[in-house]
Amino acid sequence: MIKYNPFNWIILILSSLVLLFILAPLAGMLLDTTGKEFFETVKDREVQESIWLTLWVSFAATFFFAIGSIPLAWLLARKKFPLKNVVQGIIDLPVVLPHTAAGIAILGFISRDGFLGKTADILGLTLINNPAGIALAMAFVSLPFLINSARDGFAAVPERLEKAALTLGASRSRVFFTISLPLAWRSIMTGFIMMFARGMSEFGAVVIVAYHPMIAPVLIYERFSSFGLKYARPASVLFIIVALAVFILLRLISIRKKEIHISSDAETY
Amino acid sequence: MLKLINISKKLGNFALTDINIDIHDGEYYVLLGRSGSGKTQLLELIAGLNDPDSGEIWLNNKNVTKKKIQERNVGLVFQDYAIFPNMTVFGNIAYSLHSRKPGKKVINQKVWQVAEEMNIAHLLNRFTHNLSCGELQRVALARTLITSPRLLLLDEPMASIDASLKDDIKRTLRHLNRKGLTIVHVTHDYREALSLSSRVGVIHNGHIIQEGSPAAVFRKPVNKFVARYAGIKNFFRVKFFREAGRFKARCDGNLVFTLSEDSYPSEGLLILRSDGIKLYNSEPLSGFDNCFKGIVKEIIPSEYGMEIMVNAGEIFYIDISVNDFKILQIGESSEVWITFPPESGIALPGSV
Repeated sequence: MIKYNPFNWIILILSSLVLLFILAPLAGMLLDTTGKEFFETVKDREVQESIWLTLWVSFAATFFFAIGSIPLAWLLARKKFPLKNVVQGIIDLPVVLPHTAAGIAILGFISRDGFLGKTADILGLTLINNPAGIALAMAFVSLPFLINSARDGFAAVPERLEKAALTLGASRSRVFFTISLPLAWRSIMTGFIMMFARGMSEFGAVVIVAYHPMIAPVLIYERFSSFGLKYARPASVLFIIVALAVFILLRLISIRKKEIHISSDAETY
Repeated sequence: MLKLINISKKLGNFALTDINIDIHDGEYYVLLGRSGSGKTQLLELIAGLNDPDSGEIWLNNKNVTKKKIQERNVGLVFQDYAIFPNMTVFGNIAYSLHSRKPGKKVINQKVWQVAEEMNIAHLLNRFTHNLSCGELQRVALARTLITSPRLLLLDEPMASIDASLKDDIKRTLRHLNRKGLTIVHVTHDYREALSLSSRVGVIHNGHIIQEGSPAAVFRKPVNKFVARYAGIKNFFRVKFFREAGRFKARCDGNLVFTLSEDSYPSEGLLILRSDGIKLYNSEPLSGFDNCFKGIVKEIIPSEYGMEIMVNAGEIFYIDISVNDFKILQIGESSEVWITFPPESGIALPGSV
C-alpha cells in the first residue's frame, strides 16, 4: 500500500505522465478510426498480404537465425576466449547503428556486387526486393535481442548442473540439450519473442533493401506519404492489433512451458 | 585403486601443489580442510572436470589423466547435490542410463532398485524443488550409485543437512563402503573424519600436510593447523629444556610442564588434548608431574558435556561429562586443580 506523502505523489504523477505518453497517441489513433474504415482495411487484400508477409518473414528470420545464435549465446555465457568483449561489442552493434545505415550495409552485402548477392545469383536467386532480403534486414537489426537474452539465460544455469551431467556419463551435446537448453528456455523464448517483435516492426533497414513486396511498416508509410494520415491510420491500427495479438499469444505459449525452478535448487546450499 | 602423482593445478591466485595420494581398494579416505583449501578442486580433477597442469591420475592401474570424464567411471556427489530442477526424481536418477540406451523396463527396474536402497522410492514421481536437503542428498547419491562407480567422490556431504539426518547418511555411507565401494569424502569437520574414515588426509593451502589413520593424525598432529582441524584448543608457545634428567617446557607465562619425550626442538608449540586434562575441586593428594591451580573462567555446554575454561597462569580448555560436572560442583570463579600426564603433551617445532 502506497502512503500518500509528497514524494510518493511526485513519483505517481511522473509515472502516470510517462504511461500517458505511451498510451495517449495509441488511444487517439484508435478513437480517430471509424469502424467502417477499419473493416474496409481488414478486407483490403493488399493490407492482409502485407501483414501476413511481415509476420512470416520476421518469424522465419528469427527462427533461422536462432539456430546459429543460441550456440553463440551459450559460448558467450560459458567460455572464456580472447577478444570476447570485442565479440560482445559486435553483437550489440546493430542496436546503436541508424537503421537506414544498417539497411545500406545490408543492401551492399546482398546486391549483385556483394558477396551474398553473388552467391545467391549463382543459385538463381535475387535477394533485393525479395522476402529473403527483408528477412536479412530484419535479422540484422533484431539479432542482439535474442543473443543477449539467451546468453543471460545460459549464464543463469548453474555450471555445476552441467558438470554433474558430465560425471553421469552424458556427452557435451546431451548436456546441452537436456540441461542447459531446457533451463535457459524461458530466457531464450523471451529473446525469441523480442527479436520477432523487433523484426516485425522494422522499417528503416527494410525499406532500403525491399520497398516491394511491402511489409506492413512500409505499407503504412506508403499510404501516409501518398494519401495522408487518414488513409494510413486504419492500416496502422490493424497492424498494431495483429502484432499485439501475436505478441500476447507467444508470451502465453512461453509462460505455459513448465516453470523451472533454478532458484529453488540454488537455495539448497 | 586411485593414485595421484605430483598433481599440481593453478586456479587463479590459488594452486594445488604436488599432491600425492594413494588410495586402496575399499578404503574410506577423508580429505579434511577448510573451505578454500582446494578440496573441491582436487575432487574435480579426479572426476575429470578439470585437467591438472602437471602430474598423473591413475585409476585401477590405468593412467586416466587424459581420459574423458565419461570414461573414468567415477561418481561425484556435489556439495549442493546439483539436482536437475527440470526433471523429476525418477528423471534425475535415470539420467545416466539414457546415455547407455537400455530398454525402458531395464531403466525402471534399476531406478526402483536404487531408490528402494536409498529410501526414496516414494519420491520418484515428484519434482525436486520441494524436497528437503536430506531427500535431495539421497536423490544425488542414488543418481550417482546407479552408474555403479568404481570410486565415489563426496564433496561436503553433510554440510547442508540437519544434525538429526547426519547419522542416517553416515550409516548409508558406511554401508556402501562395507559393500566394497571406495570412497573419497571431502569435509571441514574432523568429527566426520573420525566416525567414517579409514584414512585421513589434511589439506591446507593446496598442500596435503598430513596423512594417516584418524587415530594417528588426531593424536599426533604435525602442526597447529592439523591440531585445530582435530578440535584441539590447548596451544602453548613454549621453550623446551632439560632439568634433572626430565624434559620440560616453559610457557610464555612461566608455567613449566613436564614432558615424556626427548626429541623436542628448542622452542615451539605444545598442544594438549582437552580430554587428556583432568579437573579436581580440591588439591589432588598423589604427586602429579603436571598439577596446576587455577580459577574457572567460563563454563560452556558442549556436544559431549561441558567445556570448562580455566585460568592457571595459562588458559586451559577441559572437556568433562555432565555427570562429572555435577560431582565436581564447580561454578564460575571456583578454585580448581588441573593435571595431565607427561605423555599427553604433543610438541610442534617452530612458531607455527
